[in-house]
Amino acid sequence: MRRREFLKVAATGGLGASLGVPVYLRQAWAQNPIKIGMPAALSGGNAQYGIQAKRAAELFAKDIKAKGILGRPVEFIYEDTAGDPATAVRKAQKLVEKDGVKFLTGVVLSSEALAVSAKCPEWKVIFMSTINGAGALTAKSFNRYFFRVNTSGPMGARAISLYLAEAPLKRFFALGSDYAWGRDSVMSFESQITAAKKEVVGKDFPPVGTKDFASYIAKVRQSRAQGCYLALPGQDATIFLKQAHQFGITREVKPIMEIVELENMKTVGEAMVGTIGSSRYPFTVDTPKNRDFVKRFHDMHGTYPDMFDGETYEGLEWLAQVIQKADTAEDVDKVIEAWEGSSYEGLEGPFLMRKCDHQAVQLGFVVEVVNDPKYPHPVPKILATYPGDKVTPKCRTEEFA
Amino acid sequence: MAFVAEQLLNALALAALLFLVSAGLSLVFGILRVVNFAHGVFYMLGAYFAFTAVTVSGQFWLSLLLVPPVVGIVGALLEASTLRFIYRRPPIYQLLLTFGLALILEESVHVLYGPTAKGVDPPALLQGSVQVLGAAYPRYRLFLVVLGVAVGVAVWLFLTRTRAGLVVRAVAQNSEMADCLGADVPRVRTLVFGAACALAGLGGAAAAPMTTAYLGMGVGVIVDAFVVVVIGGLGSFGGSMAGSLIVGAAQTWGAFYLPETAMVIMYAVMGGILIFRPWGLFGQEE
Amino acid sequence: MTLARTRALAPAALAALAILPWVLARHQLSILVDLLIFGLFAMSLDLIMGYTGMVSFGHAAYFGLGAYGSALVLIHFEPPIPVALLAGALLAGVVAAPVGWFSTRATGIYFAMLTLAFAQLLYTVAYKWRDLTGGSDGIAGVPKTTLFWGGPSLAERRTFYYLVAVIVVLSLLACHALVRSPFGRALQAIRENEHRFVSLGRDSRPFKLVVFVIAAAFAGLAGALFAPFRGFASPEVMFWVLSGQGLMMVITGGIGTLVGPLIGAMVFLLVQEILSSYTEHWMIFTGAVFVLIVIFLPGGVVGAARRWFEARA
Repeated sequence: MRRREFLKVAATGGLGASLGVPVYLRQAWAQNPIKIGMPAALSGGNAQYGIQAKRAAELFAKDIKAKGILGRPVEFIYEDTAGDPATAVRKAQKLVEKDGVKFLTGVVLSSEALAVSAKCPEWKVIFMSTINGAGALTAKSFNRYFFRVNTSGPMGARAISLYLAEAPLKRFFALGSDYAWGRDSVMSFESQITAAKKEVVGKDFPPVGTKDFASYIAKVRQSRAQGCYLALPGQDATIFLKQAHQFGITREVKPIMEIVELENMKTVGEAMVGTIGSSRYPFTVDTPKNRDFVKRFHDMHGTYPDMFDGETYEGLEWLAQVIQKADTAEDVDKVIEAWEGSSYEGLEGPFLMRKCDHQAVQLGFVVEVVNDPKYPHPVPKILATYPGDKVTPKCRTEEFA
Repeated sequence: MAFVAEQLLNALALAALLFLVSAGLSLVFGILRVVNFAHGVFYMLGAYFAFTAVTVSGQFWLSLLLVPPVVGIVGALLEASTLRFIYRRPPIYQLLLTFGLALILEESVHVLYGPTAKGVDPPALLQGSVQVLGAAYPRYRLFLVVLGVAVGVAVWLFLTRTRAGLVVRAVAQNSEMADCLGADVPRVRTLVFGAACALAGLGGAAAAPMTTAYLGMGVGVIVDAFVVVVIGGLGSFGGSMAGSLIVGAAQTWGAFYLPETAMVIMYAVMGGILIFRPWGLFGQEE
Repeated sequence: MTLARTRALAPAALAALAILPWVLARHQLSILVDLLIFGLFAMSLDLIMGYTGMVSFGHAAYFGLGAYGSALVLIHFEPPIPVALLAGALLAGVVAAPVGWFSTRATGIYFAMLTLAFAQLLYTVAYKWRDLTGGSDGIAGVPKTTLFWGGPSLAERRTFYYLVAVIVVLSLLACHALVRSPFGRALQAIRENEHRFVSLGRDSRPFKLVVFVIAAAFAGLAGALFAPFRGFASPEVMFWVLSGQGLMMVITGGIGTLVGPLIGAMVFLLVQEILSSYTEHWMIFTGAVFVLIVIFLPGGVVGAARRWFEARA
């Protein structure tokens, strides 16, 4: 009797306490959202990538709305950097100082990322890369506030090199745009492919923004290469593929790309079928979690997720888990500690955040662009999947074991 | 041998494209004494309008015919509503006004079409390739060469054989005198500006199947156009033809032998001409 | 009227500059520093544009050279900031000398095109010389050091702000003195009618060359302040788009007034900053506002302000 009474009183008291006492606190929590700043390139030549980051964030915001993180709502603040590093730093600073964000993500260009992440130790905020591929970010320019969720450039080159080491193709031409990523990618490819006892019979570095690749196509043809490795940014790749197809060279020489974007497939269309390459996130990954994500994404945005859509979503989901684990969204050091060494089951497979350089170890995919009647445009078909430890470089370097 | 033929055709195709863009730029400078920074954006408008026209109608040839006049009208309207009021001011104002117009137009395209590139398919007749001395050469590029020559001849005939062309040339030489002699100078200016934009629009529409329509294509092409026009001579139509051939050849062979330094050499040549012979190969010595 | 009026307003402006860091929020102060740096850039452009009548499409190259010079010195040697500023301004001036020597052989639009060609050349060098400039990635992690050996650190934002404000004000005074000097008067004579100047027996070229180098040095000084402030230097700060924006800043503020372009830069950047927070299509509005200014306010903001004051006088 006494125990039952006691329990009743306790239950009533507890109920009353949970309802009455923290009401004002609960309201305070509701008005205390976790803010994530996204200084993305939303205008200018790289706008299509910034928009991918934004789309992923919008879907994630919707998915997380019910629970929040740590019971708190999540607020995304977008700023347009126009793809200019000076503006990126300015906007990031505004996000940190005026809006009080502790997490920055969605930065598109590697030059922007290098400039912004260099400031993060001073600002004490976490920079989460879901797009930036520059190897230096986890090597020479590393700082502990930087985390890279996405596949880096060297990792992409590695995956495709592993595939080509087994493939019958022996002679390759390498075409990289004349800037940091293009050059690094070709260098990485060349060293790996020669280690696999194959030959790079020629290489060229057309300026960024080349609109006529006729001479380069002629050179590729002359070199009698069997495959042509391309490290060209989105628009340049689109133009090259279109023109290569017009010259009929894609029948003789296999185009191989370090990143294969859905956007290219949609614009170039038929001319891209047969291209193989590395994909950071191919939306055709056949897991229940990914199929569900693709459907939700398509319902919300009317299009299928491209690489940066997927990787940004994964980054946000992982960040949310890490914040939950650290039980704080303000103490950045605790979040960093919680993130280091943590694992995450992503859309495309398992991830592991390396402590030594904050690079997420993840599966590497090699895909081929094929026609599929289920979709209105060509899509990436997965040819090979490599485990994370085979495609991730040695700690703080851009080299592989 | 096939290689040389192929490179020659590449150079001619590129020259044709450059010619379509720079002829208008040169004319606008010659007649209005304005350096039109927005010229590249009209090229881009032509490409995007061609995309819309081809997507909506499925007719490539019709689009190629209708898009340039539409772009020309946009240009003429802009000129009549803005530039016309500031001709008496120092040239820097007109130049910067075109800069401002370029910003507005470029971003408007972004608003209308979104950030992703738009592909345009050439008509069946121009698809695929043709055997040239044993190597496959895209038919579309051959078409570009033909188009460039046809337009060049047409404009040349207009300027030298028609009365309207005579008036245009008179205004170019001495606008005050032409005004005294009864030419409607403001109207000539608007029409020339519109025609120049139409030419650029034609260039863009013709380029779209080869490069797709994309944001920033105007910015990329305007620097090339400046080089062409400086070499050929600002204000000279024949100069823009010659300049296009020179730059087209230089870029084509340069891309083959010295891809990384080709642009640097172009700037050096441009600089050299500006220092030693600023009126270019065919321009008027002032 | 104008000089007296300006002199009257000067103490108020100085007072405002002095107390603003205590009034503004931290990130607003950052924006103000940005405005002052680009204001200095625009002002340097006015020296050649407004006073000598030379339109340059390549002025951003000198801002960029200043930024790279300062960045490299700071990263490799970490000296007090004034050393880096000197390095940046010197680099800009030294490169401007041969460029100016060649460019001033042409006039009008040809001069403008030449400056564009040279600027693009310099941009290409910065872009490709990866070992030195970091290539397309640029140089990040440029430190803020001290005011002088053993002196106060400039990492504190207010301290850096005062450094920038003092330098900008001193530069304004220096340029002001320059255009009022006999040298400056010769420049304006060249702007008005170069043929007459030459026919009176004076050679215009040395004047044009000297002012070109001086303007480049001031632009380099602005760039040299930019690098430690933002912590990096990249090829974008040399691109012709920034040159074009510089021209727009000068016209927005008021060509040929020195303080006009300073204000014009601030107006231009503030409008851009505010608009871009509302829409990613802010360029349409910036372009439209600019077109309206060109047509209706040829004297820029300062010119309009003066007319307004005169009307009420």
